[in-house]
Amino acid sequence: MSEPTKLDPETDALFEIVRQRYGDRLTREQLDELRTIVRAQVEAARALRRIRLTNADEPMQFFAPYRAEP
Amino acid sequence: MKADVLFTPLRELGGLLKTRKLLPVELAELYLDRLERLGPKYNAVVTVMREHALSQARRAEGEIAAGRYRGPLHGIPYGAKDLLATAGAPTTWGAAPYKDQRFDFDATVIRKLEEAGAVLVAKLAMIELAGGMGYRQPTASFTGPCINPWDANAWTGGSSSGSGAAVAAGLVPFAIGSETWGSILSPAGYCGLAGLRPTYGRVSRHGAMALCWTLDKLGPLAQTADDCGLVLVAMAGRDPKDPTASDRPYRYAAADRTGFRFGVITNVTDGCEVAVAENFTRSLGVLRKMGTVEEVTLPDLPYEQITRTILQVEAASAFEDLIESGGIVGLTAPEDRHTPYARDAILAKDYLKAVRLRGVMAREIDRVLSRYDALVAPGRINEAPVLGQEFRSAISATAKDVMGAVGNGAGLPAVCVPNGVGARGLPTSIQFMGRAWEENSILAAARAYQSLTDWHTRHPKLG
Repeated sequence: MSEPTKLDPETDALFEIVRQRYGDRLTREQLDELRTIVRAQVEAARALRRIRLTNADEPMQFFAPYRAEP
Repeated sequence: MKADVLFTPLRELGGLLKTRKLLPVELAELYLDRLERLGPKYNAVVTVMREHALSQARRAEGEIAAGRYRGPLHGIPYGAKDLLATAGAPTTWGAAPYKDQRFDFDATVIRKLEEAGAVLVAKLAMIELAGGMGYRQPTASFTGPCINPWDANAWTGGSSSGSGAAVAAGLVPFAIGSETWGSILSPAGYCGLAGLRPTYGRVSRHGAMALCWTLDKLGPLAQTADDCGLVLVAMAGRDPKDPTASDRPYRYAAADRTGFRFGVITNVTDGCEVAVAENFTRSLGVLRKMGTVEEVTLPDLPYEQITRTILQVEAASAFEDLIESGGIVGLTAPEDRHTPYARDAILAKDYLKAVRLRGVMAREIDRVLSRYDALVAPGRINEAPVLGQEFRSAISATAKDVMGAVGNGAGLPAVCVPNGVGARGLPTSIQFMGRAWEENSILAAARAYQSLTDWHTRHPKLG
């Protein structure tokens, strides 16, 4: 999991968020592993982005307005 | 009585209790003794509920004697994964930071099983936080790795690890587990049990630890598919405390049927161990005696990325405080102490894309499943992993699991039952996955399969 990843600007940018937020609690090895995981997350996101959806494709998520019962 | 009732199917066990050939208190005592004596051998138990169990058993005994029989679970002991709130005992979520956590109420499923007359004898071990932090090894629990009753060097699977170990070792007749992605089918498959993942919303999640609000399901692990149906009917139903719990009525249809239609996804055994693939091929031969088997190709969608993205984001949000505070450093698995930080880098738009694609996935798979009673596949790609080693997992993208991604992402029911042994002599399994709300169809298929095979009658050698 801690093999160095190839340069990828999106991965670098997103990994920087992680490093900025949590870098002070992490070792070099842990940061390397997190970069690898971020790279995998970016690859997964790209797979999702490749699928085109229509305006009518809503999130499949439960939502209902709330009103407290008297 | 005594040890000869171990591994008795629930319908038969219930019959013995109903006719008072067996008494609830003596049955509870049998299992309490086994939990206390053998539970530590498998790291399967967090809390033995002796006093609580004997109280429930005495009540059941009195009610049955008085002719107030509640049904097939009346007087039958069971264990609950330790993510279900129970008043009067800790609810640890398998994680050291929560080892002293207590709730002053019972989860809805605990309450419903009590109403059915079942006797809660133990809270069972589990992977910390149901595996939602990305664990890669069996040791990821503050109670230690659950040991497979079939082989002391093998893991039970997870995250409902203690539920698998306890049923397989005859420490409880059935157990409740939870599945977000694989956590019922994995321990059931590795331990040679029947495990049922109900349709999302079939069972109330109130009082269960939330890992992923749109993926979490509760279901039984037991000896047979019929057992699972008997437990499900007691667990199912609407609940005002869980808005996702469906008001669709569930009635278990236990009648035999024939003429099944099965689909098998093309190349579904790719990546499986040789023995798993061979056993699955043999199972298809059995299924052809029950009906038709057709190969089916799924539309090309990023199934695993959809479900994995939803899981990672929802779990990170559910445990935002623990992660951001650095409290994850108190978890047991080294990888759980830092890898969740990476999820801050998943963009909201990508998460929503996954949730939108989930709708496409759900419609496509329902279109496919409408032609079949079930899609079938190996329950697991391998025999139980060896203790002390990292394992492969679809959640960490180190193994393929299209059936798990589709089934959990779309909230579909599945049941797995044993179908052979692998190269190391450990159980392998077959899973039947159906359309939403079609638990009865997949249970009928699994029961028919078990009527033609005897794998479910084999049990590990016990101490």
